[in-house]
Amino acid sequence: MTTAPPPSTVISPSDLRRRGALRLAALLAAGIGALAWLGRNTDPAAKPLAAGPISLGAAIAFTGNANLYGQDQRMGLAVAERWAQQSGTPARPVRLQLEDGASDEPSAIAAFNLLIRQGVIALIGPTLSQQAFAADPIAQRQGVPVVAPSNTAKGIPEIGHFISRVSAQSSVIAPLSLDEALRRDPAIKRVAVFYAQDDAYSTAETAIFQKALAARGLPPVTVQRTQLADNDFQTPITSALQLKPQLVVLSVQAVAGGNLIRQLRELGYRGQIVVGNGLNTPNIYPICQRWCDGILIAQAYSPELNTPINRRFQQLFRQAHGDRPPPQITAQAFTAYQVLFEAIQRLQRKGGLSGVTLGQARANLMAELLSGTYDTPLGPIGFSPAGEVLQDRFYVAEVRMDPGGRDGRFALVRERRLQESTP
Amino acid sequence: MIDNGLLVQMLLGALLGLSVYLPLAAGQLSLATPAFYAVGGTLAALLSTRWSGLGATADGGFPVPSLLLELVLGGLLAGLLALLVGRLVLRLQGIYLAIATIALVEIVRVAILNLPFTGGAVGIFAIPQPFHDASGYLLPALALLALAGWICQRLEGMPLGRAMAAIRGDELAARCLGIDTTRVKLTAFVLSAVLAGSTGALAAHFLNTWNARQGSFDASITTLAFVVLGGSRTWLGPVMGGLLLTALPELLRPVGNVRLVLFGLVILLGPVLAPQGLITPALLERLGGWNPRGSAEGRQEAQP
Repeated sequence: MTTAPPPSTVISPSDLRRRGALRLAALLAAGIGALAWLGRNTDPAAKPLAAGPISLGAAIAFTGNANLYGQDQRMGLAVAERWAQQSGTPARPVRLQLEDGASDEPSAIAAFNLLIRQGVIALIGPTLSQQAFAADPIAQRQGVPVVAPSNTAKGIPEIGHFISRVSAQSSVIAPLSLDEALRRDPAIKRVAVFYAQDDAYSTAETAIFQKALAARGLPPVTVQRTQLADNDFQTPITSALQLKPQLVVLSVQAVAGGNLIRQLRELGYRGQIVVGNGLNTPNIYPICQRWCDGILIAQAYSPELNTPINRRFQQLFRQAHGDRPPPQITAQAFTAYQVLFEAIQRLQRKGGLSGVTLGQARANLMAELLSGTYDTPLGPIGFSPAGEVLQDRFYVAEVRMDPGGRDGRFALVRERRLQESTP
Repeated sequence: MIDNGLLVQMLLGALLGLSVYLPLAAGQLSLATPAFYAVGGTLAALLSTRWSGLGATADGGFPVPSLLLELVLGGLLAGLLALLVGRLVLRLQGIYLAIATIALVEIVRVAILNLPFTGGAVGIFAIPQPFHDASGYLLPALALLALAGWICQRLEGMPLGRAMAAIRGDELAARCLGIDTTRVKLTAFVLSAVLAGSTGALAAHFLNTWNARQGSFDASITTLAFVVLGGSRTWLGPVMGGLLLTALPELLRPVGNVRLVLFGLVILLGPVLAPQGLITPALLERLGGWNPRGSAEGRQEAQP
């Protein structure tokens, strides 16, 4: 017979577990405390600006559902870097640091924080307007200039003094393509509108389209709501086609839009299609193929603009990416880099970058950025004091697909000058 | 290198992990955490931007007591919703409960998207800030986590916690022992919702903006991954899982484009190499019995 030890000499497993849990919790708390101590000072703004190349940060979407735009932006930034290298010895060299801002708000915040901590003088990004509402206030609080290459929502420059953009608001551009459709067929009376109701950009743009339609005496006969992730649009298309629309206006993102156009045509719609900025990328061609042919789109950029800077941009783009015209989003990303690069060079020549702290250099750069005018691939642009882009040339393009239906191009049909926003 | 902004995100992840853990401790696979998170966040975003009584200033400042009030209100509203919904959905078990809670997440998301006062798809932006920078959020996030952790630890010795463990072991047997299983499950569900609601209220201020994308089905899966990787048998498991999995994509930035591939690999290999999760009861027992002067001595010392 064995004698069991008296119960008091052995700690029960549950007590051991509790003690273990407390120890681990204390360890975790200590670890978090140490990390908080190490990470407490995140912004090198008070340090003097280092000599040598100045670093510029870009946080754009390489992952998540916005990466279709992010890839286009990455090409634009790469072309811009090459343009900067090849346009003579700069007064101050610029180095670009790229980070993945992904497609969600926490990642954009993390990417902005990381770049600010690494001491960039200004930021380009993020890709989506919703991300901008999350990440831009951080840059604003720390006094870091931001140039948004693709945020078109209302209220972006209003986030603060340090926030600006080179992407014109959809309210300015979107109605131009409607006018073109009406010019081609003045008899249009019945308009169907589609939009992705869970997407910030699409809902903002459709409001503008619908307002513009109402102003032209054409209230839509039907408004169909789709979801961002939808790929099958049979139901909304069928119910819209029953109302015999003569014009269809789409505000959706690229992949969904390509599918929607294709299914509209396959289900027998023959009228004109006007699309919004979400389809402003050649990435839609493989999706809707020959069915893309003839859709109308208003653009902030035309590859056919014949200016020296646009020809140079096209040449560099074609060297790297083959014989095809650059998309608007690529041109806007190029422009974001270009305006910052030129403002840095001007500031350097004026002496605004010598003998100052990084924080002062950032503030000086913002003032310089807003005061200048720029000859860019988008045409001549400038900024309002609030940081809104002032652009006067816009374009209406028509998609023309090749006979095989595999590839196509945005063919310029009309150039429009808007007088009220002259730089 | 982890800055304080990322650290706050990690703590929020740990809090959401705990929120998934609580129903799981009573054997209920609920994926509703993002719904309650969204409810709390939306409430805080609305209150702080629309109701001047909370004291938001014109330059975007916000009093800290108002933030604490929002944490309480966010938790209460989410808890109330959980009380109403829980009575219905907790009749379901296992995968059926999971599906019902996914439906709840979708309903809340679509509701936030379509309500006239939640800003549609753009959401609510320019949410006022109680702190000058991210470091300020550390204290409330840590305090919330410490409180939640303390409650979870206390639960293990309390009748409620034992009843939860019994239900997880065998619900039928627990009911035969006289445990009011519906009530216990509902309590765990409501506690989880309160925690998620308060976390959402804090996150809304931290993120500066709030929209329907914050509480999505994707978030359900992410938060479940916190628990699966960290371990579902002790409360420290989801905390560890939440901290690690939130930090990992950021820490992997130096590897460049393949960082999400590596992240996926970690999620894949985690359960393969540690099926019980990183933190298991056995690990805690070893840690509790560990003594630098030798384990036997440690046991002697612990005698009364």
